[in-house]
Amino acid sequence: MNAVAVIGTGQTNHAKARPDVTQPELIREAVDAALVDAGLTADDIDAVVMSNMEMFEGRALPELWVAEGAYGTGKPVFKIATGGTSGTSACIAGFHQAGSGAFDTVLVVGFEKHSEGHTQTGMALVDPFWDRAVASGALGNFALSISQYMAERGVTEEHAAQVAVKARRNAANNPHAHLQMPDLTIDDVLKSRMLAEPLHLLDMCPQSDGAAAIVVASGDTARKRGPKAAWVHAAATRHDQPYLGDLDRRLITTRALRSAAASAYAQAGITDPLRDFDIAEIYEPASYAELAWYEALEFCDDGEARRLIDDGVTSMDGELPVNPSGGVLSTNPVGASGVIRVAEASLQLLGRAGDRQVAGAKTALATGYGVYAWSDVIVLRSEMP
Amino acid sequence: MILEGTIRLPFSYAAGGIGTQFLIALRDEQRILGARCESCSTVTCPARPFCSQCHAAVTDLIEVGPAGNVVARTETPGKGVFGLIRLDGANTAILHRLVGPVDQWRRGARVSAVFAEERTAGINDIEGFVIEGDQP
Repeated sequence: MNAVAVIGTGQTNHAKARPDVTQPELIREAVDAALVDAGLTADDIDAVVMSNMEMFEGRALPELWVAEGAYGTGKPVFKIATGGTSGTSACIAGFHQAGSGAFDTVLVVGFEKHSEGHTQTGMALVDPFWDRAVASGALGNFALSISQYMAERGVTEEHAAQVAVKARRNAANNPHAHLQMPDLTIDDVLKSRMLAEPLHLLDMCPQSDGAAAIVVASGDTARKRGPKAAWVHAAATRHDQPYLGDLDRRLITTRALRSAAASAYAQAGITDPLRDFDIAEIYEPASYAELAWYEALEFCDDGEARRLIDDGVTSMDGELPVNPSGGVLSTNPVGASGVIRVAEASLQLLGRAGDRQVAGAKTALATGYGVYAWSDVIVLRSEMP
Repeated sequence: MILEGTIRLPFSYAAGGIGTQFLIALRDEQRILGARCESCSTVTCPARPFCSQCHAAVTDLIEVGPAGNVVARTETPGKGVFGLIRLDGANTAILHRLVGPVDQWRRGARVSAVFAEERTAGINDIEGFVIEGDQP
């Protein structure tokens, strides 16, 4: 793949519900912001990649109905739907489109309007023979895996609650974030409603309405625009077994994420992730997942994630700030959430992340995570490859 | 303006060759089958047509369980306790209900399947799992 860079980003202000706009109108807000940010008009866009989980809005072929919001009419348009990885996978598809020479400038836009559908129904439409017939949905799935993870890695509810608090405090610096809970405490998390033991309400991501877009350009175009861009140094995606009972895909093994990370780190020359990355935007749908990702992403050895959160290594003033945006725990329009990871990582490298800026960030990590079955890892730098 | 409505989604999914044999053995014989990969010896249960490790097509069905170990568990308020159970002889786990007093459900517990009185060739022909030795 030739060099490509992110040259513009745009997001809505994510919220529990946006009853004031339709799906294409929501997308248009993020797309217009990204085009302005890139200094381009819709005519400069050669192709559009969309990401959305159509079952969450109960609407088939969302790209058919909403692409007009992304100025898609008359252009190549397709959609990617891989659960939580939809957005990062769409970004990777955009990187490949611009990096292959097929197109020069590509718009990637993800969205979800959870308020318009029934997400639990969408999540429940899993394997009909073995899993759906007994129990289904994201919560029980996580809770089962977490019970194994806690026992084998010595993680407690208090460790997870620290992650939940860190995310919501970071979100208070991000005007786009859905949940604004700057005063949240560990006690609040532990006392929040039990959803599926050991998962409390505040251990989980919210369901948000929102859209996010990035503009990806070929290296030549990005260079001509000026020196500032977020350059793609690596991208890797992996699929894994889908069944709940497949023991080698759980939080303790995280086979797909470890494999994607190994590939991306080799591409980008990352040898000591905790030191090499200046900032990380990782897809953590549950507090416990962030701890498991620390291990899978090689920030620490297995069993050491609790030390990272105890010692504040991943807080805003730590060695590697993780999710300055507040992460998925604070904002989760699923189809947009992966795009938000890449957009936030890019903003950090461009030095335009406002109150959530990590000073001098030069190397950033963005990840996606979808239904245990997909993992994406992306490495971005302010320097050209 | 908000438009309200509900969509029905009827379905009729084929269980396939391996899946059908698994379901018929449950219904007619109260036996639980695993699919054993002839290439790498991995046994999936519920039985699946492709090996979870090496992707080979699998045709060899063997009996597993009905006893096994709880490898993961969660309690969902109002809905009961659910577990992942690795049946004796299988390499993958089965998702099912853990029946009986909540406080006995720990990881590693030895359990055994209880079959439903009325069986319809579905995974719920297993009513749930109880502590081994507690079968009715």
